[in-house]
Amino acid sequence: MNSFLQLTAVVGISALGAGGTYLIKGPPVRTLVCDPARLKPDEVCLSQVTEPVLWIDARLRREWEMDGLPGSLLWNTDPKEDLAIFEATVAERLLETPRVVVYCGDESCGISRQVADRIRALGLAEEVKVLHGGWRTLSEAGRIKGSN
Amino acid sequence: MKIFVVLWFALAGMLCGAGLTFPEPLKEISAGVEATTVTAEFDFKNETAEPVSLTKIDGGCACMSVKTSGGQMKFEPGESGKIQAVFEVGNFSGTVDKVIGLWLAGNSSDEPSQQLTVRVHIPVLVTLEPKTLKWPYQSEPVTQKIQIRMSGPKPIKILSVSSASKIFKYELKTVEEGSHYELSITPDHTTTPGLAVFRIETDSDSPKHKIQQVFAVIPRAGKP
Repeated sequence: MNSFLQLTAVVGISALGAGGTYLIKGPPVRTLVCDPARLKPDEVCLSQVTEPVLWIDARLRREWEMDGLPGSLLWNTDPKEDLAIFEATVAERLLETPRVVVYCGDESCGISRQVADRIRALGLAEEVKVLHGGWRTLSEAGRIKGSN
Repeated sequence: MKIFVVLWFALAGMLCGAGLTFPEPLKEISAGVEATTVTAEFDFKNETAEPVSLTKIDGGCACMSVKTSGGQMKFEPGESGKIQAVFEVGNFSGTVDKVIGLWLAGNSSDEPSQQLTVRVHIPVLVTLEPKTLKWPYQSEPVTQKIQIRMSGPKPIKILSVSSASKIFKYELKTVEEGSHYELSITPDHTTTPGLAVFRIETDSDSPKHKIQQVFAVIPRAGKP
């Protein structure tokens, strides 16, 4: 058997194996997986969040208005926004709900961490965490209106 | 058999795209007091023997725009390039890490193949310590103080302090004009839970340092 036939055989067997796995196990899982053991100290998995918490959306206002988590408050770093209003609104709510979870677009968005620092600086929250996976995690969990 | 092995490794190489080499994957930049944007540039080179194609570059948020020089997305072996990241300072303050994700052709689209970091140091001109004063419910209504310090290149004066609260009295003392102030706050009593907001207006040229806020709180019984 020459080299080309050997290669064809190996590729063919590999393809059969991959196809069989796809048929039996289904397509690869594309949803975000949150491993509590691999979280950064200020992060939390959605499965670890116990209500009541104050949800803070750190995305842009139009995104929050379009598909923010129901009941969440807006706090972002957009220069067009009034930081004083964010502070006062959140401070008021922290008196009743002192545990906070901040989320932004996805894992690579660093705004939620900056907003979490600002909320901690208010000195009114018991605990401030950043949601691992951000809005995408909430959407995949069906927590966003219109998502699965 | 040798041909087979060579072909096999060639196929494997196609499935796992090689990366670009960045001498400095972390760039630290200090933003000026008035800066609205800061720019970081990352030089890189394709040091592999194969062409490398970028399928996506993402700054992670609307505050960061990222592009390659000339919009070029494919780099031949030995070719150099540059990635330019423009960060909008906005309401950020202190030290901010922004991560740029690079997706290379042939790699998984779930996660970036390579990451770069822009670390921006944004000056904090006015510090309020602490930001919030608390009196436990039904405790002694003692006076507490907030230290206000200015650290910019120019002095920043406090023009006024205001609050709509009827429970708290306040007094501003100048420790050093343009540099250090002390705000004393005293509740009339601590039997009415509530939150008071104190707005501090400064003469800072920087709009985001013009208005500052501090809080005074009497929590409900049983709340921290």
